[in-house]
Formats: sequence, C-alpha cells, structure tokens
Amino acid sequence: MVRYALVRGALLIAGLLVSSVLIFLTLRVFPGDVAQLIAGTQASPTEVEALRESLGLNRPLVAQYTDWIGGIFRGDLGTSLLSGASVGEELFLKAQVTVPLGIMSLLIAILIAVPFGILAAILRGRRGGTALSVGAQTLAAVPVVWAGMMLIVVFSVWLGWLPPQGFPRTGWSTPGRAIESLLLPALTIGIVEGAMLMRFVRSATLQAAGQDFVRTAAAKGLTRTRALIQHGIPAVGLSIITVLGLQVAGIIVGSVVIEQLFTLPGIGRMLVADVGTRDLIKVQSELLVLTGFVLVVGFVVDLVHRAIDPRQREAA
Amino acid sequence: MLRRTRRLALISALAAAAVVLSACSGTPDQAPSTSPGKPDPDATLHVGLVLEPSNLDIRHTSGAAIEQILIDNIYEGLVTRTQENEIEGRLASDYEVSEDGLTYTFTLNDGILFHDGTALTSADVVASYETVRTDATVQGNAEFAAVESVTAPDATTVEITLSEPNQNFLFALTGPAGLVFKKGDKTDLKTAENGTGPFTLTRWNKGSTITFARNDDYWGEKAGVAEVEFQYIPDFTAGVNAAIAGDVDVLTAVDPNLASQLEGDFTLTKGRTTDKATLAFNNKKAPLDDVRVREALRLAIDHDALIEAVGAGTTLYGPIPELDPGYEDLSDVVPYDPEKAKELLAEAGQEDLELTLTIPTFYGTTVPKVLISDFEKVGVTLDVDSVEFPAWLEDVYTNHDYDLSFVLHVEPRDFGNFANPDYYFGYDNAEVQDLYSQAQAEVDPDKSAELLAQAARLVSEDHAADWLYNGETITAVSPIVSGFPEDSINSRINLAGVTVSAEK
Repeated sequence: MVRYALVRGALLIAGLLVSSVLIFLTLRVFPGDVAQLIAGTQASPTEVEALRESLGLNRPLVAQYTDWIGGIFRGDLGTSLLSGASVGEELFLKAQVTVPLGIMSLLIAILIAVPFGILAAILRGRRGGTALSVGAQTLAAVPVVWAGMMLIVVFSVWLGWLPPQGFPRTGWSTPGRAIESLLLPALTIGIVEGAMLMRFVRSATLQAAGQDFVRTAAAKGLTRTRALIQHGIPAVGLSIITVLGLQVAGIIVGSVVIEQLFTLPGIGRMLVADVGTRDLIKVQSELLVLTGFVLVVGFVVDLVHRAIDPRQREAA
Repeated sequence: MLRRTRRLALISALAAAAVVLSACSGTPDQAPSTSPGKPDPDATLHVGLVLEPSNLDIRHTSGAAIEQILIDNIYEGLVTRTQENEIEGRLASDYEVSEDGLTYTFTLNDGILFHDGTALTSADVVASYETVRTDATVQGNAEFAAVESVTAPDATTVEITLSEPNQNFLFALTGPAGLVFKKGDKTDLKTAENGTGPFTLTRWNKGSTITFARNDDYWGEKAGVAEVEFQYIPDFTAGVNAAIAGDVDVLTAVDPNLASQLEGDFTLTKGRTTDKATLAFNNKKAPLDDVRVREALRLAIDHDALIEAVGAGTTLYGPIPELDPGYEDLSDVVPYDPEKAKELLAEAGQEDLELTLTIPTFYGTTVPKVLISDFEKVGVTLDVDSVEFPAWLEDVYTNHDYDLSFVLHVEPRDFGNFANPDYYFGYDNAEVQDLYSQAQAEVDPDKSAELLAQAARLVSEDHAADWLYNGETITAVSPIVSGFPEDSINSRINLAGVTVSAEK
C-alpha cells in the first residue's frame, strides 16, 4: 500500500510538471501581449518594448518558466502583470465563490443521481425505468449554457424567485443572498452532471444486482428490491466515489461556463478575464492550481479505493 | 510625431463602446422630477461605474478607469481641464507662457498640503516632473520629450523650459504626467496614496468598491459630501438594477438600451466625449490605397441611421471632435450618396469588392451589421472578423494586417495619429504632417487650432478613415444629487462640487 502510494504520488508530481510545461507553452501561442495592452493605442513600438522589458517579458522562455515554477515550489503563485496583486490571494478570494458553487453542484448532482439511479435500476424493464433512463440520457446531453438559460427563464423571469445573475457585493457577510445567487448556477451544473451520474448509478446498481451475494440474500427470503438495497447498494458506493472524483473535473469546467453566464465573480470568470488581458503569469498559475486540484482528487480517490477494496489489493 | 497620451485605450474604449453600441432608439433627456433639497454635508455619494482600475498606481499604469476617479479628486497637477477640455489652473494659481512658447512659469497656491500633512513646495513639483522626464516607465514620459529643464526659483514658483514650442504641452500637464507627488515619498501607490486633492482614499475592496473620504484639511474649497463610494458593476443590466434598487445615486455609462428603465427616478444626461468611433482604412494596402474606393465607402454609410441604431452619439465627419481644438463641421465632405459611391467604385474598377472588417469582440454587432447592409447596397461584400482585443493590437495595430478596422479612439487631442505615417492607419500626407507640426510649434492657441482645422479638413477630404460617430455617455443622476459633471466623465469625474441632499 505504501509503495503504491509512493509510486502514485511520484506520478502525480510528474503529471503536474508535464502540465506546467504544457500550460506555459500553449499560452505563449496566443497573439498579443499585456505590454501592448497596457500601453494602449497611443504608444510607439519603442515605448511598448520598454514596457515589455520592465515586465520581464523579453527574457528567454526557459528563464521565464524556471522563475515561475521556482516560485510555485516556494509557495508563491506570482503576481499579476497588470495589477501587481498576489495571484494566490486573488485565487483564495475567488475560491469563496467557486468552491461553494462546486460543492452545491456536487450535492445536487448526488441528490438527483443516487435515488433516481437506483430507482431506474429497480424499475428496469418497466415503463417508469425506461422513462427515467431516457430522461437521464436527454438531460446529460444538454449543454450547460442552454440548461442555465432555461433555468433563468423559468425561475427568474417567469417565477421571479431567484436572481438571474450576479453575486451580492457584500459577499458571504449576507449568507442568505449569497446562497440565493448560487442556487440557479449550482442547479444548472448539478442537473446536467447529476443526469450523467445517474446513468452510472443505474448500471452499477444493476451490476450489483447480478452479483452472487445479492442473489444469495434474495434466496434467503428477501425480496429482490430489498436484497439490492441492503446488500447491493453499499457495494456500489465505492465505485460511485470514484466516478464522483472524475465528476469534479466536469464541475470545474462547468463552472467556467456558468460563472460567465451568471456573472459570478469566481475563478472561472477570473480565468476568462485574465486570458483576455494576457495576464499570462496569472493564467498559468490559475490553470496549474486547477489542474493540480483535479490530479489530487484523482490521487486521493485512487488511494481510498485501494485502501477499501480488498480485490484491488489482491490483484496488485 | 509626439505621442501625447498613453492610456489603456481598451478600458475606456470598452466602457464607452458598451455604452453606445447597442441598438435602440434615442433616449429623450429627462427633466428632474423634483428640485434638490438642502445639501447634507455628512452624506455619502454612491456612484456606479463599469470598469475598475487594475491598480491605483497612476504613475505607472495607463487607463481611463484610473484617471477618471483619481485625477482632481485624490491627485492634482499644476493645471487641470474642465469638462469642455479647456485648461485651467489647479495647484498653480497662475501660469504664464513666454512669448516664444518655451518657458512656462507657474505660481503655486498657498497652503497646499499632502494628505500626510506635509506642505507642498515647488521642490515637490520639480522632483515629480524630473521623474516623468527621466524615467521611461512613468506615464507621460514621451509627452515630456521636449522638456529641457524643470526648476524652482523659489518655494512657490516652478519654471519649465522646452527645447521647442509645443502647443500640446500644457494639455499634457492636465493628465497623469502633470500630477504632483511628494518628493521622496515611500507610499506604495498601487494600493495607497498621498495626494493633495479634496478627497483621501479610505478603502479599496478589490472587485467591488473604492471609497473616498472628504479631506478636511484641503487647501481649497472643501468637498460637498463626506464620503464617496464607487461601486464597480461590470454588467449593464446589473448596474440598472442597482440603480433601481437604490444602491447607487449616480449610474455612469448607462446602456442606451436600458436607459428608459431609469426614467422618472433619475435624471438622464447625455455627456459629450472625445470618443471617435473610427472606421480605419488601411491606406497602404490595395484596394484601399485608392482614394476613390475610400471615398465610395464613406459615401455608402448612412451615418444618421447608424447613430440611431447605436442609440447615442453625434455625427462626426473628420478626425477632430467638438471638444478638441481645430474642430470644424465637415459634413459637406461626404454626404450620404450610395449612387455616387457605386460610380466611384466602377471608376476604380472595383465593382465586386470584398473587404474584411477586423473588430475587437467587445464592440458587439450593431456597427458591423449596419456597415454590412450599407456596403451591400453599393456592391461591396463585408466580412466581419471579430477578434479579441490583444489579437487586434497585434494584427491591426502592430502588424497593420487588415483592410478595415473599427475602434473607438477615446484620447482627446490625438489628431497626430494622422500625421504619423507609421500609425496603423498608414496615412501618409506630407502637407498634413507639415500643418500638424506647424500647429504644434504655433504659440498662439487660436492660430494653432486654425492650422489643425486645415489639416483635419485635408485628412477628411483624403478619406483617410471614416468617423462613424462621436460618442456620448449617458449618466443617470438621482434627484437628491446635484452638481454631478456631465461631459467627458469617461476620463474625469471631478467630485468636488457634488452635493447630496438628505431627502428627495
């Protein structure tokens, strides 16, 4: 187990390093730079060049890269080229919108997926089961943006229950309003992700239903449904955790789109804005933090899985 | 070629563009519903703005968003400019320009204090301007290119000598270049300040609000409100909602589309600006190097209809807007005439012309749509290439790789771009360049303006570009507020004379 964790940990670090190089290089492909943007449309090429030099954008790529990654190893995510503000601090600030949004989305996804997934499995072959499956299939195929717009139309425009966009200026000091403004976006991601997860729960449940221990329980006199719920579902739980880990990546991607749509001041919106202003050091660090987050979730899920599931240990 | 202003055009352009670029009919000005009550000296003024500065270091960062709130309120220069873009003394009670236009003598007002309590002397002015002159990373360095020396004959006098007369120099001093900072100050200007203005900075809640408090030790007339809170609301609908909900007393840069929602509760003012919505022609690239093609394109545009579609703005047929010296009504140069446009295109052998318009994404689709349909009527197919602003800067501005381009040029007095053959317009006319340098060197402002007007007419007659409209900015002001400036507020909001009454 320890050896596995070490190998898996080394892989995680290697993955991060490779990602950092990829992030660094791909961002260099963008046309335009922040120096030109700061200088504006009245600046001469020499002035822009002077600015570029003072910002350190003239230095060789290798030096720029090692500086950046060196800072990260010391826990310094760098400073914004435009504002001179600490990237780490701003990420922390924006995370106060994005993290609650992610958690709410995940909870909604689970609340939808688990009961309906199991129900769909139990009702397999019956009309209700088919309807649930088709519904999940359809919802999972819906683009997040469209789902968001539909929810805005229904809950904000028609019913007037929830704000269509924005986050209270006062932030979490008015928790009620903060939660209110996150509900629709979380619902949007949660429904789409939940529909995808539901299909997985359904098939995992069905698979469990076919397992020997469930059949044994049924043979001992439990109804098929009860056998499934009492013995099958707990076994399914583990694989759901794995899929949830993957789901986190989907929620992060979803939040970039959703924060744009609902004008939420979170990490996704910050990322889009920073790409727009070519604040590359900031974008690099933000992307690396997000990549790192997804990789770490994967790492933890793998370890947990291995620690819990005896079959995997034997296979190793 | 002098580059007088260096500011982040993106920011101001964005704000101004978003204000005017949306299809709707004009909004009628609204008379105040009630007359303002008695001013409350303890009141807080809440102002809604669109674009927040990226930092507050006005010495090193360009951008209308910074200048808009900091100049005159927090920091002051020897001179400043009025809403009409006219120059007047500020820290200087008096100034004199020598006959040859080379020596500027300023006399400082009495009792000026920095916010930390230190008295301002001419030595602070000399130190500030020496920095601008010698440090290339400081805003306005290029504008000080002709400055030979800055000296202080005594504690209240500052003398600046130029190597050659420069009609624009005094105007440059109204911008970031002219601001006076304390000599040897160690304040971190990115987040704090030590100015001399009627307000002090109390708090900056990044991404949300900036708060000013009245400076009770101000050397001049004290501000009319105890506190000002700027709320940054990047979304236009959210801004209008905030105004309706009573969160802001003044909303700047109101989207013309949404203005009608504020009628009744607010007075809507339409302010003049120096924003020139410029349809640039690549004068160096075929077929736009042919003046007949350029003229045809201008004749094909129905400017009045375009302004109606945009929702705000006035016509502008030349490179100089009304608020700048040298303005002249040039509408006679290109009356709307699609038939003549077709003839000119035929004459130039360009009957099946296909052109690309490169436009930054934040300007929306109203202008391109109108242009496509106007050009179609004269047989020109317009492809629209909507790109991110940094990509626009690289392709169009730096590499000059474009046919037609659209950008809102917001800087005042930027006519020099048409006298610079290396500017992205690629317009090269020796006569214009000559007139412009004469205008710069001319000591008499009226004569200088006259020369500029001549040059501007030449540029328009050469159809170096088309000026689609002169931008207007809509401001919604609550009846409890009085004295809020109307014109040029996308570059300056002078709050000293604003008051708020306790009740409606």
